[in-house]
Amino acid sequence: MTMLQHAIIALLLPLASAALIALFLRRAHNIAATLSVIAATIVAAFSIHLALSNQRFETSLEWLRLGEFSLSLGIKFDDLAALMLVIVGIVGLCVHVFSLGYLRDDPSRARYFGGLSIFMFSMIGITLADNLFMMFIFWELVGYSSYALIGHWYDRPSASAAAKKAFIVNRVGDFGFLLGIIMCYWVNGTVSLTELSQGNAIASTAIPLLLFCGAVGKSAQMPLQVWLPDAMEGPTPVSALIHAATMVAAGIYMLCRINALMVPDALNVIMWVGTVTALYAALCAIVQSDIKKVLAYSTLSQLGYMVAAFGLGSLVVSHDADGARHSVLLAAGVGAAMFHLTTHAFFKALMFLGSGSVIHGCHHEQDIFKMGGLAKKMPLTFVTFTIGVAAIIGFPFLSGFFSKDAILLLAYEKNTAVFAILAFVAVLTALYMVRLWKITFLGAPRSEHAEHAHEGGLTLTAPLVVLAVLSVLGGYTAFYPNVFSGVFALVPVAHGAAHTVILVTSIVVMTVGALAALFLYKPAATDSLEQKSPGTFNALVALRNSFDAAYDYYVAKVQQRFAMLLNFLEQIFLAGLIIRGLAGVVGLFGLGARALHVGKLNVYVYWFLGGAVALWLFATGVL
Amino acid sequence: MIAASLNTYLVLSALLFAIGFLGVLIRRNTLVIFMGLELMLVASTLALVAFSRFNGTNDGNVFVFFILTVAAAEVAVGLAIIVALFRKRQTIEVDQLNTLKN
Repeated sequence: MTMLQHAIIALLLPLASAALIALFLRRAHNIAATLSVIAATIVAAFSIHLALSNQRFETSLEWLRLGEFSLSLGIKFDDLAALMLVIVGIVGLCVHVFSLGYLRDDPSRARYFGGLSIFMFSMIGITLADNLFMMFIFWELVGYSSYALIGHWYDRPSASAAAKKAFIVNRVGDFGFLLGIIMCYWVNGTVSLTELSQGNAIASTAIPLLLFCGAVGKSAQMPLQVWLPDAMEGPTPVSALIHAATMVAAGIYMLCRINALMVPDALNVIMWVGTVTALYAALCAIVQSDIKKVLAYSTLSQLGYMVAAFGLGSLVVSHDADGARHSVLLAAGVGAAMFHLTTHAFFKALMFLGSGSVIHGCHHEQDIFKMGGLAKKMPLTFVTFTIGVAAIIGFPFLSGFFSKDAILLLAYEKNTAVFAILAFVAVLTALYMVRLWKITFLGAPRSEHAEHAHEGGLTLTAPLVVLAVLSVLGGYTAFYPNVFSGVFALVPVAHGAAHTVILVTSIVVMTVGALAALFLYKPAATDSLEQKSPGTFNALVALRNSFDAAYDYYVAKVQQRFAMLLNFLEQIFLAGLIIRGLAGVVGLFGLGARALHVGKLNVYVYWFLGGAVALWLFATGVL
Repeated sequence: MIAASLNTYLVLSALLFAIGFLGVLIRRNTLVIFMGLELMLVASTLALVAFSRFNGTNDGNVFVFFILTVAAAEVAVGLAIIVALFRKRQTIEVDQLNTLKN
């Protein structure tokens, strides 16, 4: 079997699984779950096999032709796609297995696993797509699967509202994305990623910024970040897979795919959007009491980190070779963003699944102030979650340490303001993650549920262990086989003074944040910050609510009123004058025509005579 | 014997046509209306024959044969309809045949 066939099977297998489940297995829950897990296993195996095979290829075929315009479907499998495919495969498999345990008693498991399969199909489609239109198709499909899975428990009003919110907010970003694709086609005459990256794309600020709109929606950047925290209404494994590791990272992946189109102005905007998102989300995360919401805001913040890293752009690297100094332009933004995306996928999926394990153990209690003392009740979850926390706050020699340092280094070299903000965000990250960890796991149990918490079965713990191992090892670029060198060669590496600065900064910010959290928070039923400094706490809560309030105001007061105005005009002019008016005119004609129908044969003959006379007059030219 | 000119025939034909048409307009009995219609048809055949005779061509004569054939068929159908009408309604006065209106 060729590698291309492997790739096509990895793409289509989850679709086949989803189709089988949707058509035949809607009530056969166990068979559906098994089928979906088998598909995920094969996908994971194929993706690793594909990546390690060291074969990189491209192929495409025409799908649709409308005059001059043609759409093609194709696969572009390079190092970037290989890395993303492996992440999707591994995290996807872990989440599938975890779901087996987490949703063991769910009455609609078949629908859930069908949703997971369709998501895997769509996500692999984004990963392999060789042109922007194809990517857009799968982009919409992940949006749909995300909608379906957030709303899995659709009988909860909050879940169905969150699903709708996610879909609608994404729609806003996707509209910009579509405009960007169309404009790219219009200007460059192609949307093929390879042709665009060959360097002859026309430089334009609008195209990358419009395409970035898609990433703003999907990766939940400011100002469209509001859907991600609400999306936590979905089942926890879904949050781990879609809203932490893969789908929300698709925006960053897409940016890396179109790196060739970027211009300095666009990169500047992207950098600041990412930086502000990272800061805003980190501030919000401090005041959350729902374990998943903390992780959601943390995801937002880390996504902001990646976007900022991408926006920081290229780096001029000089090195000695053959006795002369060469300067090389390194796409360091891509390298740093993808590196952090990889490590983040592992440790954030780990923490989400860990929180799923906690929630499962505590009978679906999600409030961290009602937990406590879980370290003793759930030792394995505790250990793996601790590894995740250590990784995200950048504890030395864990994965987050390396990838965050790469971003900080890039910021240090390129933009001091961004560097300062990102370093501050790192302090906040350590603060809220240690807060979460301490309140959840330490102290004494503070509720009945936490009292009786217990570790789940093997399906719940095995994925945690796998992801914990990857969270430790994922930061060592040497850990990855050479096959991803196309990506990891781009990761900036510090030398000399910069190296010391970054190392010291990263350790200091982590220590400051972690110590602050350890001293400030104690495992109690209330938030220490709220008691000690209600002003700060309320300000942060207000900040967190500000966007939702603004959107609510906009929708209820501006958009709704505009819609009512349009409705009024429609009633008066369109329905009243045009539609009813036309009906009136036709009615008048009918009234006149009815008068001619008298029911006397002779009268009709007179009409006939009149007609004949008129025809004669017309023929002779009188009329 | 004075040879009649084309105009003589045409005037005669027009007179016959007008009489037939007036009959159709004025009379209320379906059979009489039908006779008026036939008279109009015959008036037009007369004009055609006259044209044929004075132009020295046979086109008009051929037309007349067709008209006679069609008229025979039409009379058969028309009279049958009138008979059917009478059986159904016991009248052939057009003033009373106005169920579509009332």
